Amino acid sequence: MKLLLATSAAALALLGSGCATSVNTVSRSEPQATPSYVADQRVITDSSLGRKVAIVSVNEAKVSGDLLKIQVTLENRSTKPQAFTYKFDWIATDGMELSAPTGGWKQIQLEGRETRAVAAVATSPKAVDFRLKLREN
Amino acid sequence: MKLKFATALSAAALALLATGCATKNDAKYVDSQGPNTIVSLNSINIQDWNNAADKLVASLLESNVLERAPSLPAVMAVSRIRNNTQQQVDTDALTKKIRVALNKSGKIVTTTTLGADGKVEDAVAADAGAMQSFMAGEKQKTTLPYYTLSGKLLEDRVRSGSTQQTTYTFQLSLTTVKDGLAVWEDETQITKQGQRSSVGW
Repeated sequence: MKLLLATSAAALALLGSGCATSVNTVSRSEPQATPSYVADQRVITDSSLGRKVAIVSVNEAKVSGDLLKIQVTLENRSTKPQAFTYKFDWIATDGMELSAPTGGWKQIQLEGRETRAVAAVATSPKAVDFRLKLREN
Repeated sequence: MKLKFATALSAAALALLATGCATKNDAKYVDSQGPNTIVSLNSINIQDWNNAADKLVASLLESNVLERAPSLPAVMAVSRIRNNTQQQVDTDALTKKIRVALNKSGKIVTTTTLGADGKVEDAVAADAGAMQSFMAGEKQKTTLPYYTLSGKLLEDRVRSGSTQQTTYTFQLSLTTVKDGLAVWEDETQITKQGQRSSVGW
């Protein structure tokens, strides 16, 4: 009887977890990189997505001399793959949003517990600020 | 009688509420850069051109090679972009986005009076330039490009059961005219999976 119960519990646990797999990682214990972190503010309107995908950090750099590059590191908090879309907007010194010829929503899928960075380069030197939007599929 | 009428009226109201104000199969506008554009397996969609151009422009700008030009903005000519896919596509869908982005960055201006196989993009500008030089009794001055942009589009199709996978590869090279060396090269891939000839969002 006990064996039957244990087997059933194991089967249920297996069923519950489905085919979820998560990503194991290894990296340098004392990172040599010295990123320039950006103090950010977050607006969560989709709490479900907010729980699934965490924003780990935001850092910036200048490329090609005067173009702003932003990198946002995201982490999938669940053990199941999460597919979502993201979009970067760029804002000029005067607060005006800049049009980007190659902008638009982009698809990304994070595997279970995976951490990955999404990055974009502003195509105008006028860009000083950014806004990253995340949207569940 | 009154009860029947009230029931029918309520049912009609409920049906209207359920359907909303939308009617099926009506054409509508969607944002070309939005998340609701159609995805098809058998063609390169607008979001594919957008994503490929975005990745390649970011890669080119991050490489910092454009800063090596003696003066900015550097002049670039668009060379041949070979289409090795099964589809008939206008490669300007990729190159124009890249040109616009590079132009906005202030790093590159593209010549429109010089093109692959002698085909110029702006024939009037080329003729007017020649005419202007002729009238002034001077030799025609042509601004030669410092860079040329060339590339290739590839397609790979595989099938497993009823699932089909299509990968489009976008390859680009930026060559310095003076020495013919590719100072920047990159490629980006877009892979789509689905049932045969399926479309989605």
